[in-house]
Amino acid sequence: MATDPQAGKPASAEGPGGARRLGFLSGRAGWVAAAVALLFFIALPVQLYGSQQRTLAAAFMFVALAQGWNLIGGFAGYPSFGNVVFFGLGGYTTAILMAKAGASFYVALPAAALVGLGFAALMGVPVLRLRGHYFAIATLGVAEGMREVVLNLDGLTGGGSGLTVPAVGSEATTSYPGNAGFYYMFLALAVLATAVVLWVSRSRFGYGLRAINQDEDAAAAMGIDTTRAKIGAFALAGVITSLAGAMYAFQQITIYPVRLFDVQFTLLMVVMAVIGGSGTVVGPVLGALGLLFLSEYLRDNLTDYHTIVFGVIIVVAVILLPQGLVRFVRDGWRTRRFSLLDNVRAYRL
Amino acid sequence: MTEFLQSTVYGLLQGGLLALVAVGFSLVWGVMNVVNLAHGTFVVLGSYVAWQLNKSAGVDPFLGMFAAAACLFVAGYAVHMLLINQVIKAPIWMTLLLTFGLELVLINAMVLLFSGDFRSINTGWAGDAIALGDVRIPYGRLAGFLVAVGLTLALVAFMSRTRLGLAIKATGMDRDAARLMGIRARRVYATTFAIAAAMAGAAGAIVGTVGTFSPASAPAFTLQSFVIAVLGGLGNMWGALAGGLVLGLVQSWGGQYLSGTLVTAVAFGVLVAVLIVRPAGLLGKPYYEARVET
Repeated sequence: MATDPQAGKPASAEGPGGARRLGFLSGRAGWVAAAVALLFFIALPVQLYGSQQRTLAAAFMFVALAQGWNLIGGFAGYPSFGNVVFFGLGGYTTAILMAKAGASFYVALPAAALVGLGFAALMGVPVLRLRGHYFAIATLGVAEGMREVVLNLDGLTGGGSGLTVPAVGSEATTSYPGNAGFYYMFLALAVLATAVVLWVSRSRFGYGLRAINQDEDAAAAMGIDTTRAKIGAFALAGVITSLAGAMYAFQQITIYPVRLFDVQFTLLMVVMAVIGGSGTVVGPVLGALGLLFLSEYLRDNLTDYHTIVFGVIIVVAVILLPQGLVRFVRDGWRTRRFSLLDNVRAYRL
Repeated sequence: MTEFLQSTVYGLLQGGLLALVAVGFSLVWGVMNVVNLAHGTFVVLGSYVAWQLNKSAGVDPFLGMFAAAACLFVAGYAVHMLLINQVIKAPIWMTLLLTFGLELVLINAMVLLFSGDFRSINTGWAGDAIALGDVRIPYGRLAGFLVAVGLTLALVAFMSRTRLGLAIKATGMDRDAARLMGIRARRVYATTFAIAAAMAGAAGAIVGTVGTFSPASAPAFTLQSFVIAVLGGLGNMWGALAGGLVLGLVQSWGGQYLSGTLVTAVAFGVLVAVLIVRPAGLLGKPYYEARVET
């Protein structure tokens, strides 16, 4: 299914309260735009250098990560700051299965998804009882703690000196897909993640999540099994994120705990989802692609200052676009009023 | 036995310092409902202020501490007025993202200004030690501990004895009611944030004297502040002191008896367990938790 609306416009009217057909490029136009964007990205690699393919593959990976966060943070309103734990677990599951058990990548990949699913469900039971900051900090704590556990299980994970996936020669369990291979792999994952989010946004399950986001007690009173819905969203996020981690581990060949459980991954996926528009289908796609290309551009052109400029951009975007790009454009389109100052006035004291 | 005593003493001394690192973080979180991810960079900024003063003018870091606190107070006030205040009413992750962006900017600005090298503030006396039996206590650590605990206690007194402190507490309990009582919430928030930054700056000066620091140390201070703030209960100054001592002891004992960095895993395990069992913290008062988050 061509459900990857990359064209820069909201593809469907998934606004709160079922406000359908009010945005622009909604309905059929959105689907056409999504299909065109997808065909463009499928045909593109022929024209690219290896390094450009790698950059795009990273961009697709972040689309998937941001969509994973979007499910739990954007729809259910539970701001997870530990999603990287699924990324790291997925990566290490894959690397351990390939390096220690001699499994093929195509066996390790679903295994990683299962680990992500299982861990999200297990962790979700106690952690999803917490709300707000407490939830954010608990998830962060789990991720940081898991990094230390992986770091200290030297026998299984190689500890701080890393773990190498057999990728070349006779020891390779699966031939290394190369830049183009990973490009398509991550593109498929990004499309899958976006499709899942699109399905959630239109399903009863997704409406339940939105209700939880607005008022959890009221949602429970309306008959939504909030625990099940929250754990479901968390588990979906866990699957998507651990798949991304699995592919990333294979792509990197050698993985290290500090890298695979880096809190920067979590923060980047949150930033991308929020700046694009959390709780929307297209927002995280735009946020991930936009910020990753911006970051790469800055890295190439402002070698010394690129992280500073990137930080400034995040600060400015948070202040000027707190509701995300997609909501800003959609609301502006509806009210014929595009004012960044209104955004600032809304949240200042 | 000597090892145990030595690590206990070391853990307590380190814990007092960690309390000063975390007390501002806990205050801002409890009063303003803002998790300041840039808190650790304030600590390191304080270290650099004291380091620079010591290097270029030979100022003792325990005097430079006051300069560091003053600089960070002004910086904290400005950061709140210019940045944090713009999103203070937004959903919580907006302030997390904002301070994350700020952290990126500050850490990399420090790398550009001072390089990423590890530094330490050298004094003639801080490395010398008194010996109690077999236990060595370096003067620098002892002084750092005393100053840190003293400043934390001073903050406790300030919060409960002065009009401004009470205004901060009142704003933390119910912002709208406080505004109706004539409290200027924006200024109170800015002052709270500035005090937190000043405390972090003072802690930074001590950190730089008893150990080494670099721009890359900042995230670790933020994470330790998390653990301490949660252990002690948000916005609870006594709790921060207790949480700091507990974390210092756990880390010190863990370093002695656990392999590698497993002690960090233990610290985070404790953090998650405390959150789930007692979200108000070990010494937490319920009203901070019960407050409606808007």
